[in-house]
Amino acid sequence: MTAPDLRVDLGRGLILPNPVGLASGTAGYGFELRQLIDVDRLGALFTKGTTLHPRDGNPPPRVAEVRGGMLNAIGLQNPGVEHVASAYAPEFSRWGVPVVVNVAGGNVEDYLQCLDRLERAEGLAGYELNISCPNIANGLDFGRDPAAAGRLVAAARSRTGRHLMVKLSPNVTDIAAVARAVEEAGADSVSAVNTYVGMKIHRGIRAPVLPGRGTGGLSGPVIKTLALAAVAEVRRAVRIPVVGVGGIMDAGDALEFLIAGADAIQVGTATFVNPTASLEVLDGLTEIATRAGVRRLRELRGPALPAMPPAGIEPASTG
Amino acid sequence: MSGPVSDLGRARDESGEVVAVEGLDGGMVEITARLPHLAATARPGEFAQLRAWGGVDPLLRRPFSVAWTAGELCSFVLEAVGAGTRLLVGLRPGDPLQALGPLGNGFPLDPVPVRAVIVSGGLGCAPFPLLVRELRRRGCADVIVLSGAATASRLYPAARFRRGEDSVRVVETTDDGSRGRRGLVTELVADACDETAAVYACGPNPMLAAVARTLQRLARPPRRAHVSLEAPMGCGFGTCLGCALPASGGGWFLCCRQGPVREVSEVDWPGLLALPPAHVA
Repeated sequence: MTAPDLRVDLGRGLILPNPVGLASGTAGYGFELRQLIDVDRLGALFTKGTTLHPRDGNPPPRVAEVRGGMLNAIGLQNPGVEHVASAYAPEFSRWGVPVVVNVAGGNVEDYLQCLDRLERAEGLAGYELNISCPNIANGLDFGRDPAAAGRLVAAARSRTGRHLMVKLSPNVTDIAAVARAVEEAGADSVSAVNTYVGMKIHRGIRAPVLPGRGTGGLSGPVIKTLALAAVAEVRRAVRIPVVGVGGIMDAGDALEFLIAGADAIQVGTATFVNPTASLEVLDGLTEIATRAGVRRLRELRGPALPAMPPAGIEPASTG
Repeated sequence: MSGPVSDLGRARDESGEVVAVEGLDGGMVEITARLPHLAATARPGEFAQLRAWGGVDPLLRRPFSVAWTAGELCSFVLEAVGAGTRLLVGLRPGDPLQALGPLGNGFPLDPVPVRAVIVSGGLGCAPFPLLVRELRRRGCADVIVLSGAATASRLYPAARFRRGEDSVRVVETTDDGSRGRRGLVTELVADACDETAAVYACGPNPMLAAVARTLQRLARPPRRAHVSLEAPMGCGFGTCLGCALPASGGGWFLCCRQGPVREVSEVDWPGLLALPPAHVA
């Protein structure tokens, strides 16, 4: 058995050393996790959503556990693009892991100014445009409207030669339409999906647990089935690479996303439960690919597989 | 963001084994587990993220102060308030226990001996046995524990605060007068304090706010006063940003990394008291 080639070419110069990334909002800017795990072994680190100006975030409580998942309403707490570009990016350039900065904003001009500042920084592997944060006012507008998403991406495209990924919202009627719009506007890849809007009710106080509108972004294993369907739909809609994310807890979950059509994956909420989850997913995927005898991960996708799964691939999922 | 930020360099995810589960009065449980790394590295006021179940329900770990260490053993004091804690109090010797820690910033400790005034409310006792031992090791001759609870059965046993340090005074209060002095533990704080004292407090937020108010009014305030707080947590190590609590002067601090220990003046007490009861969730 030869070691499989795990590299993933997402386009425009962004080649991930392997398909396992840390999802935006679950790894900060990497500084905490680097003290706990060997982040440099991973395929990519997607930073916390970064905005033009610093944001304090939402009032507490910001997180609430639900069956098989969690809700969050962090409100894009981040130190602002200036700090990220001047203080963090120089650190990123010394790291082995490619760092993709997740960029968020309330209007097109915010996004563009944010990108302009990041363009002057070294050490960034690309951008993930967050057009789908459910926790800020207007945060979903771009994600819901294919035309608006397309205009934003076209404008962003004109500002950067770096890789431009767009993180899609699942809270839409037609995710394929948004995916097609951002592909046509020049996106190099898409990541799918961001969190699902959810609510937890506190029966004792007869009110939602989370403040404000009472809603938050649902993540964790409870959304995996939904995210797989979204990834498969996006895969059919576009030709650009798709990065799958949503409830991946182990290598078996990651394999399912690859089978559904993802070129790479992101591990998110699992990191909260187990800081080494992403590395375990990477090691597990490597073992699956090695045992299956594939040379490239792409071969793990559906039709190329024999009718009987090779050793190392569990035939069915219970999750 | 200000204040000391926790050092994650000592944190490790460790697979341990429960060696004892002791039921105390009033529903409190002390769990002792073989966790050599945590036992060797935990400092007073630091915590660990525990998980003692497979599967995804409950999903997240639960944070608990390290109450005591002895050799390779660590103890935690808790009670069943939700799905995770119900599973934890049901553990038996031999059961596996996963612990990520030590986490959090811990109590600041003076290089020289000080008078220590410890204020404990109910389950807020959890970080104090370890603190008492460390203060005594540092030569603090005058350590007093003011221990309060609603009723006698909810008092953490005085002997467990001392654990052999017999010179440590434990003064008890109960709301209903069923043991010790009738009244609130905070009523004793003023008399116990002078400008040479270092105050450490942990308990329900209203109690901590009362301690803060009391200290503010003292003619001779203590040399310093710290509280240990709690918040619903996602990760416990600073990446989810879920455990924000209101800071004095506006904004938030993260309970897991810029806490759980804060200097009294760093907390927005009215803001903290106004928070909805997410802990019950």
